Amino acid sequence: MSVLSLASKRITSFNTPARVLISKRFESVAKPANFKTFKIYRWNPDTPEVKPKMQEYKVDMNNCGGMVLDALIKIKDEQDGTLTFRRSCREGICGSCAMNIDGRNTLACLCKIDAEKANTVKIYPLPHTHVVKDLVPDLTQFYKQYKSIQPYLQRKEYPKDGTEILQSVEDRKKLDGLYECILCACCSTSCPSYWWNAEEYMGPAVLMQAYRWMIDSRDEAFGKRKEMLQNSMSVYRCHTILNCTKTCPKGLNPGKAIAEIKKFLAAD
Amino acid sequence: MFGFKSAASRSSFLLKNNSTKNLLLKANSNSLRHFTIPFLPTLPQNPGGVKGSVNDNLPKTKIDKFHASYHWNFEKVLAVGLIPLVSMSLMNGGSISTFIDLGLSYTLLMHCYVGFQSCITDYIPKRVYGTWHNKAMYALTFGTLLSIIGIYDMNFNQKNSGSVGLTTKLWGAKSEKSEEKA
Repeated sequence: MSVLSLASKRITSFNTPARVLISKRFESVAKPANFKTFKIYRWNPDTPEVKPKMQEYKVDMNNCGGMVLDALIKIKDEQDGTLTFRRSCREGICGSCAMNIDGRNTLACLCKIDAEKANTVKIYPLPHTHVVKDLVPDLTQFYKQYKSIQPYLQRKEYPKDGTEILQSVEDRKKLDGLYECILCACCSTSCPSYWWNAEEYMGPAVLMQAYRWMIDSRDEAFGKRKEMLQNSMSVYRCHTILNCTKTCPKGLNPGKAIAEIKKFLAAD
Repeated sequence: MFGFKSAASRSSFLLKNNSTKNLLLKANSNSLRHFTIPFLPTLPQNPGGVKGSVNDNLPKTKIDKFHASYHWNFEKVLAVGLIPLVSMSLMNGGSISTFIDLGLSYTLLMHCYVGFQSCITDYIPKRVYGTWHNKAMYALTFGTLLSIIGIYDMNFNQKNSGSVGLTTKLWGAKSEKSEEKA
């Protein structure tokens, strides 16, 4: 009797989520595998004499999340632990997983895999960057440039009572479309001018941040910020190619910001 | 241990061959190797364009308005100025005054000069090509000076009829040929 009651208890505690899980498992077994091919750029600094190559991986899309980053993580977990890439937030807010997917610089975590199409997904590191390993580029110069525009509030006097510096609604609105930038370097590395002259040309991402600090009503270093850009290389290597605006995974417009900087400088 | 040994012996084998060694050195030292002009010598470049350590600041830029905002403004004035000049010449054809013809030729020449200057700054930078940057700039200036004389000759020599007249002649020459054929 006691055994029976125990068994019935077991059955009643066999709740719905577990049942769903099992049915899903059967479903995946029953469904024909839907393989998608990923061709990924591989280069190992430990063997510099071996040329970079494209390596193929097949992933069953029935058991994989919808984004390219899901597939990359799955490959690293299940097929090849040596595959190297940066990732962190998996929701387009950290900018770590910027890479060139099917010819476009974008964030792997925001890039959908089209499971219906039979095409191969080709993944490269950000173009014309110094590759550290596989999909990891060296962004030292990019960060140095960001540092050089002094991306912080500069003013002589702060409120004496220690409160925040107030800003009107209109002034705050000017920062929309600029402050959202996560510095993933997709735009800068898509710019041909930045490819040729990354040593001296600031690049779209950094210039957009320079503009963001120029128009901030709380900042008082407008003149100094303009002077930093008054030379032939920092801004004027921009030839309005607009790859930056086209590729931005966050839908921002660095091209417009650079045009506004040029207007500021022209009137200077 | 075995893996390490084999890798080491493989690389030492590679290094025995001189041409492979050069290739290796090239592959490691210069990430810009695919994007340089083949017949010009280049200066050695830092990997990834990084100078100094990770925490070093970029060198401070000097204010140079003549190569920055004034230059850009000049470019725009030329580009905008070309709009009425070209459209006026197109409407009037060969019967345009020498003054406008001269204006069009010289504005167009300066427009080209500034454009090519930009190309040289982009593709033959001093940082990579050293003196070849200056040589390219001198060549461009020399060519432009020749063109200035040429344009003067085109407008004031009795035999010639200005740049617009010359362009009109191109159409005339074509129609004469087709007449001959007919």
